[in-house]
Amino acid sequence: MNKVAIVGTGQTKFSKDEGDVEKLLFESASNCIQSVNNYDSNDIDGVLVSTNNNSKYLGAILSETLGIRPKISHSIEHLCSSGTNAIISAYAYISSGLSDMVLVSGVESATNPGQVLEWDRSRGNLEHPIYWGSMLTKSHKRKFQTTEEELAIVSAKNHKHAMDNPFAYSNEPRTISEVMNSKQITDDLRILDCSRSCSGSSSILLASEEKAKIFSDQPIEITGIGQKTTSASFTKNILGEIESTRIAADLAYKMAKIEAKQIDVAEVHDAFSVCELMAISELGLTSNEKSGEFVRDLFNTENRMINPRGGLIGAGHPLGATGISQTIEITNQLQGKSDKRQISNAKIGLIHNMSAAGTSSSIMVLKN
Amino acid sequence: MTFFEDQLKEGVFQICYCKNCNDTIWPPKEICHKCHNRTDWKKSTNLGKIMEFSKRESTYFGLIEIDDGIRVLGDILSSSIPEIGQSVRMSVSFNSKPHYSFLVENN
Repeated sequence: MNKVAIVGTGQTKFSKDEGDVEKLLFESASNCIQSVNNYDSNDIDGVLVSTNNNSKYLGAILSETLGIRPKISHSIEHLCSSGTNAIISAYAYISSGLSDMVLVSGVESATNPGQVLEWDRSRGNLEHPIYWGSMLTKSHKRKFQTTEEELAIVSAKNHKHAMDNPFAYSNEPRTISEVMNSKQITDDLRILDCSRSCSGSSSILLASEEKAKIFSDQPIEITGIGQKTTSASFTKNILGEIESTRIAADLAYKMAKIEAKQIDVAEVHDAFSVCELMAISELGLTSNEKSGEFVRDLFNTENRMINPRGGLIGAGHPLGATGISQTIEITNQLQGKSDKRQISNAKIGLIHNMSAAGTSSSIMVLKN
Repeated sequence: MTFFEDQLKEGVFQICYCKNCNDTIWPPKEICHKCHNRTDWKKSTNLGKIMEFSKRESTYFGLIEIDDGIRVLGDILSSSIPEIGQSVRMSVSFNSKPHYSFLVENN
């Protein structure tokens, strides 16, 4: 198996406005291509597009727009974790030798069909994610004595981090009290506890270890991958747990030969505030009972270890692009290129991306 | 419309099961995922228990467990704050999507 490294990255700004999917794709892919050394379009032999958009044949369209004639091109959809699924597919192509260099581009428009899973009949007419988000939040409060303030700290922290992320949809600060006093969507969810669907695009170039040095002075290796799908129906989840994350994390740590405590920086899937608390527990960084305290300590000490780019809540959530932007953040952190967001001496980073209330999770470990 | 949806429209929640494996199949499917024989149907008792709940505007909603461990999301009709484990009675309908609602017993 060939080793695989990230050699280039590019993004567009995320926005609440509707976006033109093809334009956005081209913009982030073009930024990505311009970030590498010695670029030659003939070197890219794979182009993958991750999106929930209904447009067809985007892999080939993006290739033609960029003047690339790849061996492999297609789209990948897996709801909110489409982006990491596309990166992991590219990894598989390169590690198997089917490909040497793959461009992965994720894109979404703010109104997209990936926000509701119509197939899930167990949700009845309560299809929108706010309903499962409310169930997870209420259950976390009940089982682990999580407070309203601890949940608000997740959002205040991530909004604060997003202020230093030029690609975030909003750079507005939100205090703990602003979050706590924001509009109640349900008894257990405030508007500022929710990530927001955005338009935006992000792209990443992956290459085999052999080729990586040609294109980048600081290639970042993907050393661990773990994935798990437990179901598609939210109602089959055990409340208070994200089993798919726990299993995927274990697989990723084994592959990377690391333990959770070695992780210096992580992007986790905070679809709602409670999801960050649950994710850091399932990843083994803390326990559910102590997760609120863990995040409070990060906030009080201005430690950006979790969600330095602002997470989904702070940066916005263009579904097909989210996992790629998370991966770009960890790549930049390990390259020491995160400016004000930089975690000092970051050596090992983690990306956690999930779909449909955590019924599936994808995790990657990167190392510099 | 599927048989399941058609029956919801009639106010009946049909539970799909496999006679062979004695297994409930949820969401309903025509073929059992274990033995691949055709599945059968039985009517729900319409009785359930509240697993978790919250409230949107003036309406409670929650995760309810009905027959054979099947769980669904639906509205909860209750004049007081619901409780975990509380018994509820289900009524169903279908209008482009399923609608499940639950009346707290002895309300």
